[in-house]
Amino acid sequence: MALPAFAIYSFLYLYPSISNLWNSTKRWDGVLPPEFIGARNFTYLATNDDLFLKVLGNNFKFAFVVVVLQTSFSLLFATFLLKNTKTTIFLRVVYFFPTILSSVSVGLIWLFLYNPNYGLINATAKSIGIMDEPGINWLGDGRYALYAIAITQVWFHTGQMVVIYVAGLQQIPAELYEAAEVDGASRWQQFKNITWPMALPTTAVVVAYTTIQSFRAFDLVYAMTQGGPNNASDVLVTLIYNTAFASYKFGYASAQSVLLVVTVLLITWLQRRTLRVNYGDK
Amino acid sequence: MKTKGHKAFASLRAGVVATVAAALVITPLAVANAAEVPTFGKVCTTEGVSTGQKTTSLICAESSSGKLTWQRVRLGGSYAAPVASLTPPKGTIEFHHWRGEDKAVLQSIIDKFEAKHPGTKVNQVIMTSGDYGNLALTKISANPKAAAFVTMRGGQFDNFMKAGLLKDLSSQRYAKQNFIQSALTPGTVDGKIYGLPYQSLFNNPIYNAELFAKNGWKVPTTWTQTLAFCKTAKAAGYIPFAWPGATRGNAGQILNSFMMNSAPYATVLKNATDIDKGRADLTIDWFTNIAKQYRQMADAGCFPANATGYTDTVAPADFAAGKAAIYPTGTFGMSSVTKLNPDMKGKMKIMGLITTDAKPYYEGITNNTFILSVNAKASSTDQKIANAFISFLATAPIAQEYAVGTSQHVSVINVDYTANADLLNTSDIMGKKLLLAPRFLFLNQGVVRDKLEDALIAIVGGADITKTLADTSKIIKQGLGA
Repeated sequence: MALPAFAIYSFLYLYPSISNLWNSTKRWDGVLPPEFIGARNFTYLATNDDLFLKVLGNNFKFAFVVVVLQTSFSLLFATFLLKNTKTTIFLRVVYFFPTILSSVSVGLIWLFLYNPNYGLINATAKSIGIMDEPGINWLGDGRYALYAIAITQVWFHTGQMVVIYVAGLQQIPAELYEAAEVDGASRWQQFKNITWPMALPTTAVVVAYTTIQSFRAFDLVYAMTQGGPNNASDVLVTLIYNTAFASYKFGYASAQSVLLVVTVLLITWLQRRTLRVNYGDK
Repeated sequence: MKTKGHKAFASLRAGVVATVAAALVITPLAVANAAEVPTFGKVCTTEGVSTGQKTTSLICAESSSGKLTWQRVRLGGSYAAPVASLTPPKGTIEFHHWRGEDKAVLQSIIDKFEAKHPGTKVNQVIMTSGDYGNLALTKISANPKAAAFVTMRGGQFDNFMKAGLLKDLSSQRYAKQNFIQSALTPGTVDGKIYGLPYQSLFNNPIYNAELFAKNGWKVPTTWTQTLAFCKTAKAAGYIPFAWPGATRGNAGQILNSFMMNSAPYATVLKNATDIDKGRADLTIDWFTNIAKQYRQMADAGCFPANATGYTDTVAPADFAAGKAAIYPTGTFGMSSVTKLNPDMKGKMKIMGLITTDAKPYYEGITNNTFILSVNAKASSTDQKIANAFISFLATAPIAQEYAVGTSQHVSVINVDYTANADLLNTSDIMGKKLLLAPRFLFLNQGVVRDKLEDALIAIVGGADITKTLADTSKIIKQGLGA
C-alpha cells in the first residue's frame, strides 16, 4: 500500500519540488533554453529586490491579521455552537457555507461590497452617519487594501476552523465544566481555566493551518486587486505568479517560491515550539 | 531576433490616415450631412467619413489645396482582388483567444466553417485577456492541438516569435490580398508575415453624444478645454471620465493619449525604449510631465470619486446609465456598454484625448491586434486546418459578421459596417491622424509597463509624484536586473 502512495506523492509533490529547486538555479524566460547561474537568483533576491521585501512584509501583515481574527472568531463561535442541538447544527452549516464557495466568486462578491461609491459597506456606513463622502476606498487605497482582503479571507475560512474547534472542544470532558459550575465559576472563568488550556492542541492545528493558508493566498488577492494598488496588497504567491507569467522570469520565480517554502517552514516550526511550551506537548 | 515593432511605428506615422481609413465603411448619411451626396472631387464636411472600403469607395479627406473633398479610399494592398478561403483537411483543432465577449459570434462563424467543410472541427479555447497575456505562451507551446491562436501586439507577439510558434504566412494569397496591408505591420518580422492582426481598434475615449448635445457641451480639443469640460460636467452632476482606475489594463488605455502628444514621435520612441531597457528613469522630464497631467486631470475632477477603486465593471455601467459623459477606453468597450443598456446603441461617438494646447502631433490612437497565427509546432494537417480557418475569417462576409456582431472594426478589406450604428458613428476617427498605440512600446509588461501604470494610478490617488516615480524606477530597474 505504501509504494503506490509514495509513487503518487513523488510524482505530484516530490518531483515538482525538486524540479523547482533546480530551476531556481537558472536564468530562464520560459522560451529560450535555461542558463545555469548557481545561487545568483538567491543573492539577487536577498540584496537587490525591494519589491520582494515589501511583499514579504505584506504577507506577514496579512498572515498576522488573518491568524489572529480567524482563530479568535472560530474559537468564539465554536464555544457557542458546542452542543449538538438543531439550532447549533444549523448554525454550523451556515458558518461553514462560505467555505464551499469558489474563491473567485467570493472575491467578486466582496469586490462589490467594498465598492467605494456603490458598495453596501460604504452605503451603510454613510447612511448611519459614521462615514463622510466620498467614503473609504477600501481596495483602491494602499492603506486599506491588504486588510480589506484579509477580512474577506477571515469571512471565507472561519467556518472551516469552527468545525475543527467544535471537534476539539467536544473532546473536553463535560465533568470539568460540571465541577466548575458546582464551584460557582462564571462562563468567563470556565473559558479561561478549562476551555482555553484544553483547546491549545486544537489551536495549534488551527494556527498552523491558517498561517500556511495565509502564505498560500492567491485567488482572493488576484480576483480583488491583482496585488494593487501599486503592490500594496501583493502577497508572495501573486508576486511569484507575476514574476513567472507576466515578466517571464521563471528561474527567478522558482527562487522566490523556494524562499516562500522556507519562510512557511520556519514560521510553522516557531509556532510549534511556542505552543509546545504552552501546552506541554512532548 | 529583431522584430519590426518599433519600425512599424515610424513607418505608420506618415501614412496612417489614408491606410487606416481603408478599414472604413460608413454610410455618409449616418454621420455626415444628409444632403451631402458623396461625389468624387466635390467638397465634403466631415473629415474621415467614407462610403466604404471598396475600390470605388470615397472618403472625405483634405486635398492638396487644403480643402476637404471626396477622394478615393486607398486600400492597403496593391495586389490582386481578395481570394476565397482555403479548403482544409478533415480533423479537429483548437482556436485559442481572449475575447470571451466574442464567443457567440465566433461560434456562429465556426459553425459556418464546419458546415462548409464536414469532418473539420474548430474548438474555441478562451481565457480572460489578463490570463491570456500571462499564460497563453506556456499553454500553447505545450499544446500542438492549439493550431490556431491569437496574440497581442508587442511583447506577447515577440515572445511567441522567439519561441518559434509562429508559422510564416507570407506565401498565403489571402494574407496579401484580403487584408489592409498597413494593418499587418504588427505581425510582420523581417518582411515576413507571421501574424494577421484581425481587429482595428481605436483606443480613444468614447463619449455619450446625446448627453453632450443635451448639456450643450462641445467635445474638448485642447488640454485646457479638457480640464474645463471636466469642471463643467462635474458641476452638472456627471462623472466626466469614467476611468476604471482599479483595473490596470483598461486604466492604462489613456496612457496612449498622454504619450501621443507628449513630444515628437522620435522622442516618445526613444524615451519609452530607454525606460523599457532600464537606461532611463521615470523621473525624466518627459514621464514626469505625463504624471503631472494625470494629477491635473484628477485635480480638475475629471475622474470619478475614489477613482483608484473604480473598477471596469462599474465604469461601463455608469457610462451606459448616462451617469458618465466619457468612457476612456476604446471602441472595444462599446459592445459591453450596449449590452448593459441597449438604448446606448447609436449614441456613442469617439474623440481624441488631446493633452496639449499646441497643435497636436496626433489626433487619436489606433491599434492592430488580435493577431491571428498558425502554430508552427502543430502537425502538418492541423496547420492546414488552422490556415484554412484563418483564411475563412479573412473573407469579407465573415469578417463583416464578426465586425458587426462584436462592434469591432477589422483589418479585412471589403467589409461593410452599415448594420452597426456604433461602428458607423465611431469610424470618423479613421480619418484623423492616428498613432499606433504607443503604450505597447513598453515591451516588458510585467516589469515595466504594469509598474509604471500602477505608479500613474497611485498618483491619481494622491501619491507624491516625485517619490512615486523614484520608487517605481528603482523597482523597475531591480526587476530588469533580476
